[in-house]
Order: sequence, then structure tokens, then C-alpha cells
Amino acid sequence: MESASNQHSQASPVEAERPQPAVIIPEGSSGAHRAFVAWFYKLTIEQRVLTGFSLVFVGILIVSAISYYNTNILLTNSGLDGRSHDLIQLLNTMDDAMSEAEDVHRRYLVTGEASYLEAHKKVVRQKPTFTAYLNDLIRESPEQQQRAGLLDRMMDRQLSAESKATAQFQEGGFRAVKKIAFEGAGKRELGVIHQIIMEMDAHERQAVGRRVVASAAGTRTTVALLGIGALLQLVLLAWVYYFIRHDITERRRVAGELQRRGELLEAANKELEAFSYSVSHDLRAPLRHIDGYAALLRKSVEQSLNEKAARYLQTISDSATQMGQLIDDLLVFSRMGRQEMLHTTIHLDQLIKHILSDLRLDLQGREISWTIAALPAVQGDPSMLRQVFMNLIANAVKFTSTRPIARIEIGVVEDSGSREIVLFVRDNGVGFDMQYAPKLFGVFQRLHRADEFEGTGIGLANVRRIVHRHGGRAWAESVPDKGATFYVALPRRGHGV
Amino acid sequence: MTATKPILLAEDNPRDAELALAAMEAEHISDKVVLCRDGAEVLDYLYCRGQFKARPRGNPAVVFLDLKMPKVNGLEVLRTIKADVKLRPIPVVMLTSSREERDLTESYALGANAYVVKPVEFNKFLSAVKELGTFWGVINEPPPEGCRSTH
Repeated sequence: MESASNQHSQASPVEAERPQPAVIIPEGSSGAHRAFVAWFYKLTIEQRVLTGFSLVFVGILIVSAISYYNTNILLTNSGLDGRSHDLIQLLNTMDDAMSEAEDVHRRYLVTGEASYLEAHKKVVRQKPTFTAYLNDLIRESPEQQQRAGLLDRMMDRQLSAESKATAQFQEGGFRAVKKIAFEGAGKRELGVIHQIIMEMDAHERQAVGRRVVASAAGTRTTVALLGIGALLQLVLLAWVYYFIRHDITERRRVAGELQRRGELLEAANKELEAFSYSVSHDLRAPLRHIDGYAALLRKSVEQSLNEKAARYLQTISDSATQMGQLIDDLLVFSRMGRQEMLHTTIHLDQLIKHILSDLRLDLQGREISWTIAALPAVQGDPSMLRQVFMNLIANAVKFTSTRPIARIEIGVVEDSGSREIVLFVRDNGVGFDMQYAPKLFGVFQRLHRADEFEGTGIGLANVRRIVHRHGGRAWAESVPDKGATFYVALPRRGHGV
Repeated sequence: MTATKPILLAEDNPRDAELALAAMEAEHISDKVVLCRDGAEVLDYLYCRGQFKARPRGNPAVVFLDLKMPKVNGLEVLRTIKADVKLRPIPVVMLTSSREERDLTESYALGANAYVVKPVEFNKFLSAVKELGTFWGVINEPPPEGCRSTH
């Protein structure tokens, strides 16, 4: 899936160089196209930007390669053009030199002037140089080499005919060469030489013309390619910019939304505070009245009150009292969530000692065997953690009340890893069924009937809330009728929130 | 003799007032109680104005102040009392349903002499009111100032 899409994405800039590749999408490729779009929208912003930049990079690479290739051709052509130019010039020079040779030779035959013979000899001396240079210039063109071979032979024949005539002139004087002097010794060869040189010139000029056309086409292609490439890069960069811009806008929007929600949350929190204040003040008053008037009623009808009526009045009072307790517990619970937290070092040994001394009234008449290990110091809010252990110990005391000898153990789990300190309170009380364990720490959740053990069901909810605010965990394990163990894991120093 | 000094009870809820009076009746101090139903009435009483223009002069032995009251609330009354040189010596006991920390803090900061949360259970409320009434109305020796005698 991914590799197929990559191929597609890399192919797209190449396609775009051809005229209108994207407009007509064959039926077969629309599926792949759709898959690509679907794949693209699954990418993260980073991956999209990376894809965009990769496409830009690939585009730059392709444009660069083609430009390099075309420029190379242009360079080669310009080298060849230089050589063609040299060749044409050389041919011209050779043509002139051969004409000159014929001309001066004739003058020599007529006048016998030595300077003319010298001029002819100069051409004869130059000839090998001309030939060598010519062969060098046309070494890549077999056609021209063929002509050059013929040209070379013709030049030799002209010069040797002239040399022969010179020898005859020197032997027999003007009269011996009179006929030759009028006709020209190599006149026929010179005509052929003209012919060959013209052919070679024409051939070379044609080659130059062809290269000029090819170079112009190459240059046009390069310019067009660079234009299209630049346009394509621009489009891709704009595309990448759009995504980055889009992402930034989106992030700004999210940040704004978060701030707005934060403000709403703060407002809601304030409202909740006002609510709990009003609960604390206004909800308690009617309860007080119920209990108060029930008491006043009992007092005023005391003589005529039968047992049933007395029980009814008592129930009214008890219910009002119980609801008062619930409201108080709920307020404590809500305050636990809002209250500012202190962060100090708490020596748990001291904390437990104080709790046990506070509980001593409740412990009267109970036989409890305490096992308390040496406990470490932890970081946290003293009054909150006091509440945690107060609740756990009070629970242990409460739920072992049916045992002749209660056993309560407070300790720390050794080797609990470096990140947290795990403390536990274990009892041999009635315990609970582990299937109800998830309910244990909920608000107003109770696993025992009210007539078995008293309580409002807020204690463990408070424990969990406090422990969570300390960045820790709280959980429990139990076997029904065998006892329960409550664990509190607090982060070690430096790992806390 | 302190028996002549009244106990000022500021309570906007008539049921709470009736229960408090019933509690004081048991201690035979209810006849000393002057009931005000909002903060403005408390200030009228203390400054001998309005309906209390003709009252016998002299500061009350104690003021029991509810926090939440119509017109002028308990904390405002407390602020006024403690800001007035003549009224400042009067013991003020906050008697309220609120256990909120900021109410406690603010009351003591303003100079309240005591802060009592009304218990829900009538028996506890009864004993609290009895003890408060007896202590502040009978046992405690109030400061020797009279009512504002400037006119």
C-alpha cells in the first residue's frame, strides 16, 4: 500500500511535465488515486510536510538532471561547431593555396622568375601540414575522410605535375614547356580539387546547420523544463505552506478552545464552591428543624406517647442525623478535591502513632493485636495523608469487630520498585468479595448492610481521591471472611506530581 | 447584676429562633433574649434607633450572630460592632450552620469572640445553646460600658 503510493507520488512530477497528464485519468488508475488521497489524509502533519518536501526534492532532481543533460549536449555542439569552423577555414585556405600554387607555377614557367618558384615550393612544403590538420579535424566523419583521401591524391597529382613541368623548364627552357605553360600543368586536378573542397564545405555547413537546430531545440526544452519545474516547485511549496499554515491555524484554534474550556471549568468550579457552601449552610437547617421539632414534640406529648409513636419519633431524629452526617461527609469529600495541597515531608511512624492515640476511645473494650513495621518518610499533605490512614485504620478496626482477637498489620511492601512506596493496612476482618473490588472506592458505595457495620461509604472514596492527588494509587485485596489488605502507593521523592 | 443585661439573638429563620428559645427556656434565660430577624435590626438595637429608640439603655451581655441574614449579613454586623469603640467590648458569638474555612477565618479576623457551628442533632444543639446562654448570659462578667450615652 505504502510503497505503491510512494511510486505514485514520485511519478507525479514526471507526469506533470507532459502536457495535461492529470486531467485525463484512466479508469484503472482512479482507484489508486483514491487510495492515495485516502492514504494522504491519514498522515500526520509532519508526514504531509515531509511528503511535500520529498516531492519538491524529487522535482528539483529531475529538472536538474535533464538540464544537465541538455547543457552537456550544448557544450559538445559548441565544441563541434568550433571544429567545423576551423575545417571550413582550412578548406578555404587549402583551396586558395592550391589555386595560388597553380598560378605562381604558370608565372614561373612564363617568366622564369625564381620568386615564383619559391612561392610554389612553399605550397609544396605546406601541403603535408594541411593534410595532417585536415585529417585531424575530420577524424570522426568517415564521409569527409573519404573525400579528404581523394583530395589528398588530387593535390599530390597537381603538385607532382607542376614539379615535373618545372624540371622540364629547367632542362629545356620555355620552349619545352610552352604548351604546358598556357594550359596549366595541374589545371584539371585543380578543378577536381575545387569540386571536392566545395563538397566538403557544403557537407560541413549542413552539419553545422543541423547542430544549430538541435541546440536551439535543446535550449528551448531546457528553458521550458526549468519553467515548468519552477512552477511545479512553487505549487508544491505552496501546498506545503498551506498544510503548515493550516496546522498552525488548527493549533491556535485548539489552544483558544482549551483556554475557553479552562475558563468554563474555572467558572464551573466557582459555581460548585458556591453550591457546596449553600449545601453546607442551607441544607443543614431543615434537618436541624426536623430533629428539633421531633424532640419538642416528644417532650410535649411525653405522657401520652406509646412505644410505637416513640419509635417513629426516634426514626425521624435518626434519619435527620444520618442525613446531616452524609452532608458533612460529602462536604469533606468535595473539599478534598479543591483544597490547596501542601508538600512537606511526613514521617509515617509519627502519623500512625498519633492516629492510634486519637482512636483510643474507640478501641476501648476491643482486643487488637497490632503489628506496625518501621515506616518511611513520604512527601505530601500531612492532614490529607492523616485522613487516608485514619480511614484505613478505622475501617480495619470496624470490620474486625466480630473477631475475638483482631489482628491489624501496618507495613510497607519491600522491593516495590524505585518509583513508588507501597504501604498497606491488613486486617483479619470480614473482608469482601473481590468481584466488588471496583466499587469499593466509589462515593457512597458500601459492601455491607447498614445494620452490620455503620458508615456512610465516603471513607475509601476520600482515600482514593487524596492518593490520586498525590500522584499515587490505591487498591485492595481480600478473601471473604479471611481479612482484607488495603494498599496505598505514593510516588517517591522527585517522582511526584 | 448581670441578670438585667439582655442577650441579643440575631436569627432570620423563625424555626431556628424558636428552637433556640425553647433551649434557653429550659435554663430560664429565654426572657432575657431579644430576637432580631436581620442584621439591620441588630444595628438598630445597638444604636438605639428605629423600633428600639425607646429601649432601656445599655449594651447586651452578648450577641449571637447568624452569618447568613437578609439586608445586612452577620460578617457585616460583626465588622460594624468591632469598628465602633463603644460597641467593641460586647462579646460576639457566631452561631451558624457554616463550617466553611473562609467563614471561620474571616470571623476571627474581624474579632469574633467565639464561633459555634449549629449541630444538626437537637440534643447537641440544645446543650450548645444552653451552655452558650448560661456562659455568656449568666456566668461571664460583661464589660462595664453602658449604652451610647452621648445624647
